[in-house]
Order: sequence, then structure tokens, then C-alpha cells
Amino acid sequence: MDTGVFAYLVHKVNIERMANRDFTCSMDRGGVERIVYQISVVTVVAILVGAAASLAAIGFVDAVHYLNDRLLISPYARIQADHRSGLVTAATLIVPATGGLIVGLVVHFLVREKRGLAPPDAILAAQTSGPAPGIRSGLASTFAALVSLGSGASVGQYGPLVYLGAMFGNLVGHLRLNLRHQRSIAIACGVAAAISTAFNAPIAGLVFAHEVILRHYSLRAFAPVTVAAATGYIIANVIFDRPALFLVNFDRVEHSYEFVFFALEGVMCAGLAWVFMVLLRLSANVARRYIAPPWARPAVAGLIVGLVALWIPEVLGIGQETLRFATIEGAFGIGELALIIVAKLVLTALCVGFGFVGGVFSPALLIGILFGAFYGLVLPYVAPVPHSGLVVYAICGMMALASSVIGAPLTTILIVFELTRSYDLTIAAMVAVVFANLISYRVIGRSLFDLQLRARGFDLSLGRDKAILETHRIRDYLSREFTSASDRETVGDVRQRLVEDHRSEAMILNQDGELLGVVRLQGIVNSHADAPVLQAAIQSFTTFDEDTSVWQSMEMLRGFLGEAVPLVDRSGRLQGVVPEEAVIRAYLEIVHDLREEENEAA
Amino acid sequence: MKRPSLRVFPLIVIGLLAFFAVSSAQGESEAPEVLTVVTWGGSYEDSQRRAYFEPFTNATGIEIETVHYDGGVKVLREHLASGDVQWDVIDMIQSDASAACEEGLLALIDPAILAPAPDGTPAQEDFMAEAIHRCFITQIVFSTVIAFDDRAFPGVKPDSVEDFFDLEAFPGKRALRKSPVGLFEWALLSLSVPREQLYDLLSTRRGLELASRRLDDIRDAIIWWTRGDESVELLTSGQAVMATGYNGRFFHARAMEGAPISVIWDGQLIGFNSWAIPRGSGQADLAADFIAFATRSENMAAQANLISYGPARKSAQQRVGLHTDAGVPMRPYMPTAPSHMANAVIRDHQWYSQTVELREQWFREWLAH
Repeated sequence: MDTGVFAYLVHKVNIERMANRDFTCSMDRGGVERIVYQISVVTVVAILVGAAASLAAIGFVDAVHYLNDRLLISPYARIQADHRSGLVTAATLIVPATGGLIVGLVVHFLVREKRGLAPPDAILAAQTSGPAPGIRSGLASTFAALVSLGSGASVGQYGPLVYLGAMFGNLVGHLRLNLRHQRSIAIACGVAAAISTAFNAPIAGLVFAHEVILRHYSLRAFAPVTVAAATGYIIANVIFDRPALFLVNFDRVEHSYEFVFFALEGVMCAGLAWVFMVLLRLSANVARRYIAPPWARPAVAGLIVGLVALWIPEVLGIGQETLRFATIEGAFGIGELALIIVAKLVLTALCVGFGFVGGVFSPALLIGILFGAFYGLVLPYVAPVPHSGLVVYAICGMMALASSVIGAPLTTILIVFELTRSYDLTIAAMVAVVFANLISYRVIGRSLFDLQLRARGFDLSLGRDKAILETHRIRDYLSREFTSASDRETVGDVRQRLVEDHRSEAMILNQDGELLGVVRLQGIVNSHADAPVLQAAIQSFTTFDEDTSVWQSMEMLRGFLGEAVPLVDRSGRLQGVVPEEAVIRAYLEIVHDLREEENEAA
Repeated sequence: MKRPSLRVFPLIVIGLLAFFAVSSAQGESEAPEVLTVVTWGGSYEDSQRRAYFEPFTNATGIEIETVHYDGGVKVLREHLASGDVQWDVIDMIQSDASAACEEGLLALIDPAILAPAPDGTPAQEDFMAEAIHRCFITQIVFSTVIAFDDRAFPGVKPDSVEDFFDLEAFPGKRALRKSPVGLFEWALLSLSVPREQLYDLLSTRRGLELASRRLDDIRDAIIWWTRGDESVELLTSGQAVMATGYNGRFFHARAMEGAPISVIWDGQLIGFNSWAIPRGSGQADLAADFIAFATRSENMAAQANLISYGPARKSAQQRVGLHTDAGVPMRPYMPTAPSHMANAVIRDHQWYSQTVELREQWFREWLAH
């Protein structure tokens, strides 16, 4: 590529940018009005989206609890039905399977995407300007998640809550409010409020929206997202009163060498996260291979969950009680813990892979805390030195595994801090989380969400730039100005036309407009004027097609020597050309937009 | 005018009619009638006698006889099964009343018998939520608490449920009610389980096993009691250094009799007592008249001024003041005093009424273990 042109364009874009900045800084009357308008509209949007997401989250969680009680999934309901013999057993076998059937049918017939909508859809909607799943799909998917969780499937509730928040944000994103990056900010607001409400942890909600959804920390997004997270917190605390996810008593880490144990625990949790991912993929493959109708798959998973639950009731549902027991010394034996960890791991992979709608965060928290408790119980046998008890290891395991799975180390650290208000516990969890992420990032990738997005062609593994450049098509930069030649013309005709057009390249087309070759002026300067032009044409040359992304076009331009790259449709007909300058311009504009979004002031 | 008086008017008429009905019933019969009330004895029954029984006899001429009761549904079931129903009114724990109602052991009570508050507020609004039930009328808030003998711990005093299970720091016998009530809540509370999750955890096999193992820690130090006044006696006589019991009884022993007993409010188990009428009572109308009388605001307040159980209607709570005899202010001794509520457990009545057999079986097995 011509570095001179590139340098010039960079310079030009920078100058335009500075000019823009000067313009926005000049505080004329119109400017002030505009700023006041922006700040007030953004605040109202944040509060509205935050309140809607928060109320919806509370309604969702309450509805799940209601269903769990009614359908004899929760231990609280099961023990009260215990005296009616056979009822609990029947419910255990029938409810998850029937729930699975309903979920399968709803997803198959009402969700256009034919799968449960989840955080990856929220990420995609916030990152790109493409069409997001519609409201009907969103509601049907949320209903399917409600049935999944209500009927005791081993899936999580936070994924559907995040999507629910994103759905409200997306709705607001469609309003004509004339705000820049309106949709992505509104989605982030919804997600932040949902997490803030669900965990009763506003700071974690705020960070989650940036860390997982937006992937940047601009002040423009930061302010409304904070407002939304606070709104969620206020609603969760003032209007409704929900008990915290976990409450633990912990004084302090007694011995400094324990931090080595925490780090080691983090590494092991990364391994567990890897196993979890492998099982998820395996289960999805098994489902595809052995059960032909997609709508029947969740029912099969539900039946298996019910059968296992007769033996290990802990696998049913979200497992609030099991989560609590994991922090109580003496509640589990080592063998029991290992059994429940394996069962929960396998059944969660089964439920998610077979198409139950729900997240992986809650199961990861549960498996993590059980593994942490297991680690804490085994540790004294392996390293016979005094340590600070079970609680800290349980919490470390919980957060290390969960952060590896959802790719949100900061969020999980903050959840510990906000729920326990214990500095020592937070530092311990931080060490475990960081080591878990160090390993899991290398082995698995940033998160399950990113893996799922990559499978759908949106690769965030090299950061936002590449992923966004991949979503833009180079055909948007198509130029119709080029010199064409018929395959019957002679070298002399084409040479003459090139000179008149001030171009050095001509596209040779047949009667149907199909591209046969490219002729460069330097290749025909000395050729005989009567020779057919096709003979002098270059046969192997770079072409773009309608789907070539900006990122791909830049890759393809390596070593390119011509003026412009022809763009052909599927049948080989020439649509136009993309000048080298246009590729550079596309790259600069997109990257500039990204940098601007990331550095915007409030 | 706080409430439109129109709504109160029918209630007043019904009240007057009831009063005349009672008076005429008295006039017609020669021998004095007797109403049998089944209740809990001791200082609690004394307070009922002074606040309800004696005024009722004075107003109607009907004598009240009492039969002693220590809770549960079983005795009521057996009494009704005997065919000769002598009991007219029974003072039951709300969860027992609820379970008895489902079993069909209780007669229905017309909520219209309840008098409005003195300011005219209808009973429905004056009583606590869910106090008025088709089978029973909830009347008091009581609490089962842990108390200790001050003489036994001259140094550091126990102040939590955890201390109750700590035989090393606080050695000595523990007096516990011989019934599957409260034991498992305290066992889990002592393991730092938050009170919001107690019944969720106790609903699992693991939770009950955990409670069993925790109780094993103090098994050899337990002395069992069954009658409400026994737990006070065990403490005052020095046989036990810590005891669970009803907060009103401990209050009475301390405030009225000067016994060296202190109450630990941590983990207090709040429950409710309700008036009910056994099905098959020959004097169901008279029993309803008694309940209407005993649930009047001023009568309920009169009882609360004798023993520290909170009345279940707001207008009565507002009338709680100094102890009738001792002159001590009663409010700080009520289980619902704000300073006592920080770690109070509200007993889950639904859970209790649905798990009667399971709890009894669990308790039998633990005792036999």
C-alpha cells in the first residue's frame, strides 16, 4: 500500500477531527442548548431504561420463584408436599420434561432466531448497527427462559435478565432522539440496571455493562450507565426487598501464604471452565446428532435432569440452598461435593446444549462455590498448614470460575465487594479471579460469549477494531468510475481510452458484463496495437465480492499494486471498483468512529 | 373523622345483639353456665384470667374453667375423637391452628363478631395482616427466646444463639422444649445461616442433617421441658444455666419475682397465638361471644399490661403502657420492640403447619439416635 497516501489521509482525518472539536467547544447559544438537551435526554433515557429493566428483572425473578414453589421444584415446596407420597417424585420426573417441551416449542415456533436470546445478542446489538432480534423474539425467548428456570432446568437466570435489559435498551434505541450512539448506550443502561438489581450490586452492574457489553469506558456512556445502575439499585432496595445472593461471615485472611493457594485455586478454576466449555460444545453436538427435531431436545434434557434429581436433588434449578450450604463448614463431605460438582457441570452443559433457555453465570457461580468448598476441604490434606476456613476458598472458587466463563473479572471482583463489604475477601477473590482469567484467556478465549459470537462471525478476540471492521462491507465504498473494455476490442482502442480517461487500468468485460480480466497501462505500452486486448490482460488479480468486509479487503490489499480493486457479484458480473484510497478511507472512518465513541465526553 | 361511621354501624348493632343474646341466655338458665377454655397455664394464664376471664364472668355471669394445654394438634385430635367434646375455646399457636383447620378439627368463626377499634376502625383493618382466619382469630405476638441465669456467668455474658451452643465458653445445662419447634432454627442460626434462608435450608435433607449434627454438640447438656413455666423453674432453681422459653414468662419471673434471668434477643423466634373453637363444642355461640370479648382492644391491652406479649391489633398496641402491678413500662419487653427485631426469626407458619409429621419423625429419630 502507498504509505504516502495513507499518511496524507490520516493527517486529513485528524485535522477534521480537531476542527470538529473546536466547533463543539465554542459555546454559542445553539451549542449550550444542544448540550442541555443532550444531558437531559440522556438522563431521562437512563432512568427510564434502568427502571424498566430493573422492574422486569424483579418480576422475572419473582415469577421463577413462584413457579418453583408451585411446580414442586424448590425444596421449600417439596418438603411441604412430602406427606403426599409419590407427588414429589412425579413432579420431579414430569415438570422438567414438560417444561423442556414447552421451551422447545416456544423457541422453535415463536423465536425467529430459533434459539434463546442471550448476552451475545446484547453485545452484538450494542457493538454494531445491524438489525437486532425483534421484540416478539425477545419476549418469546424471555418466556422460554422463565419456563426453563421455573421447571427446574439447570440453567442460569442472569443471561435472560441481561437480554431483557438489552431489549428495553434496544427499544429506546429506535426512538428519534438524535443522540450519538444512542442504541449502544441505551442497551448498556438496561443491562447495567438488570445486573444491579439482580445482584443488588450497582457498581458491578455498571462495570459489567462496560466490561462485557460496551467494551470501552467513555464518559458519554459511563454517566448514563451509572444513572441506570443506581436506578436499578434504588428500585431493588427501596421498592422491593430481596435477600442477597450470598451472605457470609468472614474476618480476615489469617496467613499471607494463603494467597498462593488462592492463585492456585484460580488456575484450577480456569481448567474447570475449560472442561465446562468442552462439555457445552459436546452436548450441543450430541443433541444435533441424535435428536433430529430441535424442539424435542430440551424435553429430553429435562427428563434426564428429573431422573438425576431423584438421586441428587441439588441439580434442580438455580440451587440457592446448595449455594448457601457451600459456605457452611460441615454441610458437605468431600465425596458428596465431588459428586454434586460433576452432576451439576454435566447437567448444565446438557440443558444449555440441548436448548433450554438460560444463562451459564448462575450455574458457574454454583459449581464454582462447590469447587471452592471442595478445594478448601481437600487443602488441609495436601498442605497441612493452618488456613482461614472454608468461606474464603468457596467464594474464591465461585468468582474465579464464573469470571472465566463470562469474561468479566472486574465485575465478579466487585460483586464480592458489594455483597460482602469485606475487603479481605475481595482481595482474596481478586487474586483467584486474575489467575483464572490469565489462564482461561489463553486456553479458551475471553469468554463463552465471545466464543459464541465468533461462531457467528463476530470475532472480538483481537479487540473491537477487527470485529467492527468485519461487520462493515467494502461494497459501501464502491465507485462506478472506471474504464471498461469489451473482450473484442484491441490493445490500441483500450490504450487510447485509458489515456483519455487519465487511468492506468481497464476492466475487460464480456457481453453479459462479466469480468474477464484487468489490463494495466504499463503492460500494454509496447504491445502491438492490433492484438486482442484479452491477450494482454492479467489473469490472476484481486477481486472483492459483495460480502467482502473492510477487514478482509485490507488483508487482501497486501502486496496490491493497482489503482482499484474490482468488485463482482456472485455470477461474476462487475459491480464497480473500490479504489485503494477508499479502503484506507473506510478503515480510517470506522476506526475514527470507534475512537471517538471510546473517548467521548459526557 | 377518620372513617365513615356508616361502615361501623352494622358492627355496633351486631355487638349489641351479641351482648343481649348473652344476657338473655344467662337469664334463661338457672344454674351458672360454664365455658371451658384450653390454655397454657402459669403466668400467661394468670394474665388471661385477669384480662379476659374475670371481666367476662362479671359481664355475663358465665364461669370460665381452664384445661391445661402444651401446644400441638395431636391432643385436640384425640379429644375430639373421644366423642365427648368438653372444650369450647382453645388458645393455639397459629401454625397448629392452621393445620387443625385443614384437618377439619375447628369450627368456623364469623369475622363479624370482632368489635371495631374504639375510634371506629373496622376490625379487618385494625388487626395484623392474616390475623383474621375462617377458623381462628390471632390475638398475641409471642416470642420463644433464649434466657440465661445471670448467677452462672459472673464474667462474660452470653449474647447470641451461637453462645447457646458453645459449651466451652459457657458451660452448663441447657433447658429446651421437648418438641420439634425452634431447635433446628437455632441450630442453623448458630452456624451463621441468615434468617431469610432458614426455612429454605431446613426444607432440604442436608439442612435437617446439619441441624441434627449441631444439636449433637450439646446433646449431653440438654434438659427437656414441656410446660411453659418449667423452663423458668429450671433456670431459677439452678438446674440449667440457659433455657429457651416464652418471653412473657421470663419477663414475669424477672420483673415480678426478681429472678436473676436475662433474655438473649438474638434469634428470638416470633410466633402468634390464636383463639379457635373446637369443632363439636356444644357451646360454639358462647365460645364466639368469648372470643369477641377477648379480642376487644381495651381487653387485649389489659393483658399486654400484665405480660409482655404483643397484642395483634393496632388499637390495642397503642394502649400498652405500664405494668398494672409493678408499674414498669411494658413496651421495651415486647418481642416486637425495634431493638429486639434485628435478628428476629418470624416463624414460618405455613412451613410449620405442613411439616408436622416430618418434624415429629425427625425429632423422634434424633432422640433415639
